[in-house]
Amino acid sequence: MDYYIPPLKADCEDLLNQFQKTESVRYEEFAAIWRKMNFSSIFYGKMAGNEMRTFSRLILTIAYQYFLPPHTFQIRAGGLYLLYGLYHSQLASPKEKIRLALKDWEHVQKFQTDAVNAQHYDVVYILRRLFSEKAFYFAAMPKHLSFQVKRKPTRHTVCEEFWDRSTRVKDLVTSDTLEEIMNVHEHYEKVKAAISATPGQPDPAIHLINKDLGARLQSTVMRFHKWQEETERRRNGYEDAGDTDAGEGTSKQSECSSRAQLLASIKSKSYGQVVEASRSRRHRQAEMDTSASEPNPATRCKRPISLRERTRKKLMSQGSAKQEDLESTTQWRLSMTEQDKLGERRREKKSFKW
Amino acid sequence: MAAKHINSNNNVPVYEYTDINTKPFHVGAFLSLWKETLTPSDYSFQDTPEEKEDAEFAEEMGVPSETVDELKAICSPHTLKSHPEDENLDKDVVPENPSLQTLRLRKKRQDYKETLLRDVTCRQDFYANELEILAMGKRPEDPEDLVPEGELILSVNILYPVIFERFKNVRPHQTFQVLGSQKLTQLRDAVCCVSDLQVSGEFSNTPDMAPEFISKDHYKSAFFYFEGVFYNDLRYPECRDLSQTILEWAKTHEFPTFHTAKMEDTTFNKLTIRIGYPYLYCHQGDCEHVVIFTDIRLSHRDDCLDQTLFPLLTHKHRVITRKCAVCHLYISRWITTNDQLAPMDPCLFCDVCFRMLHYDSQGNKIGDFLAYPYVDAGAFN
Repeated sequence: MDYYIPPLKADCEDLLNQFQKTESVRYEEFAAIWRKMNFSSIFYGKMAGNEMRTFSRLILTIAYQYFLPPHTFQIRAGGLYLLYGLYHSQLASPKEKIRLALKDWEHVQKFQTDAVNAQHYDVVYILRRLFSEKAFYFAAMPKHLSFQVKRKPTRHTVCEEFWDRSTRVKDLVTSDTLEEIMNVHEHYEKVKAAISATPGQPDPAIHLINKDLGARLQSTVMRFHKWQEETERRRNGYEDAGDTDAGEGTSKQSECSSRAQLLASIKSKSYGQVVEASRSRRHRQAEMDTSASEPNPATRCKRPISLRERTRKKLMSQGSAKQEDLESTTQWRLSMTEQDKLGERRREKKSFKW
Repeated sequence: MAAKHINSNNNVPVYEYTDINTKPFHVGAFLSLWKETLTPSDYSFQDTPEEKEDAEFAEEMGVPSETVDELKAICSPHTLKSHPEDENLDKDVVPENPSLQTLRLRKKRQDYKETLLRDVTCRQDFYANELEILAMGKRPEDPEDLVPEGELILSVNILYPVIFERFKNVRPHQTFQVLGSQKLTQLRDAVCCVSDLQVSGEFSNTPDMAPEFISKDHYKSAFFYFEGVFYNDLRYPECRDLSQTILEWAKTHEFPTFHTAKMEDTTFNKLTIRIGYPYLYCHQGDCEHVVIFTDIRLSHRDDCLDQTLFPLLTHKHRVITRKCAVCHLYISRWITTNDQLAPMDPCLFCDVCFRMLHYDSQGNKIGDFLAYPYVDAGAFN
């Protein structure tokens, strides 16, 4: 079933992308896009036996990811609608359930309170509807795990546009990490001092990092945070913008669009000013750029030719063996008529590759 | 805050390696965490009446009931249908020129299937579907046997011990669903493995005696190994502690200390496990099955709710059976060596052919050979 993952992801992202362009979290907008794309037809087509159930399970697992952070509130609402739509339009009976993991529960609750506070009635209503319809399995993990170790692990790429960027710096540099960086830095200075020729003074040749790294990092983060708040306040005319943890604002159209603009501005800023970013951040951003430029890391490499095939090719090219000699004789038919031979050759095996 | 509390708790399953396995956690604690966070109506088997739901919603959100009705109309699942109700689409056919990528892929497959002369579903899939549907939504006749609300259901994969060449890409296994309150011995009894049916000994002189001694009755010891603890089956006096040798060996090789416990005293709720992590089930001395917990979740209205049916078999890999060398029809029951009558050594026979070939009408042995009872790997198909 894994061959369905890339196209399914592409389809879901296509739908959510269009939903994002509406800059709204209304269900009507979503349903209109759903109908336009005829998304229910994703379940059409003959599937053997339990294939339908497995497919439903797979698509629900994929859609579930959009319902969770780090996506923006709008995408998460879209993810919720997507789950709702898929749950209701699946053809398996009894319906396959959405697997809700315990570790994600707090995100769901936070989402619900955000939606209630912002008075998005349709979001709350649909979430409650799913609960009362018993559409969830309260599970340990979002999918079945059976120790499927891959030689090349598939990387989880989050669609860049759906990402909630505003809190990323805050998430990355918390007071705990800052303290740890300070500690590590202190230790580092001590070690440097210990190995240097002049006791108590680090060797100037290995002076590679600013002395006041921790303090500088903190001030940079604070400056960024302040800038972010200011731009937000300027664009929204919010009163409560000082409290960034307020979640989702009220359900005004203007708010959504300004949010999108804000996201765009943050994005352009973060991409445009790579040089200005602090040392540790610069490395991260370079990483992000590469991940954006290679969208499909899991390209399949071609299998090398087998030894048997190589030997055969070699023999053929040397002319020491004829085509017929190499054809293996099947035990159940030691001789063969000419007619059969022709028939055998014409019927080449075609197998379906996903 | 409750959410903070959950996050810091290490009984919340989180990934150790993404998509592969989780960190260890206690099953019972996990259950109580879910129960703390949910209201009983969330996992109850009964439906809450819709009017009550709506009234509650209106009250909590502070909106008039007309708004709720409006919401209901807007958000009904009917809004998702692209075609009017009366148009009966054939849902088995992928529509022409699909725009969705998934459908394009499925269309390609469908087109390929049309070129085939005959199209057969894989029998594995066919049986898997039947088995899955068999117990779905089953209710017990006696209400006493109903699975209690908020019970845990664990899915356990038990892999087959044999690694044939053809199993390199598939991991043949059985899947069981067990309840959290059940004992490990109940799972042990439900696991069917051909090595339990083996008959040891040479029976060419007395072929009628053979089926009476199967290994299951002779060697009853077994153990599960989960997270550093050996759970030994010591229900019968003749059971031996199979883990003893391993423990002693581990002591001399500087391994972390292992513990032992009794299988019959342990329920699944008392276990500490990782989901997706391979563990061991060993019986018959050295028949070793890898055991993987693939999933743990609360029981749901649509599950099989008959307690007596658990441990419930939900998946079984079917193995190709080896047929009799004479008739190529029946599954082999005997294997012979040093047999002058057989085309190869060793040779497989079904019961009928074996007796016809090797014994005269009075049941006397013809020729010189050694015969052993043979249990096919596909005996449980």
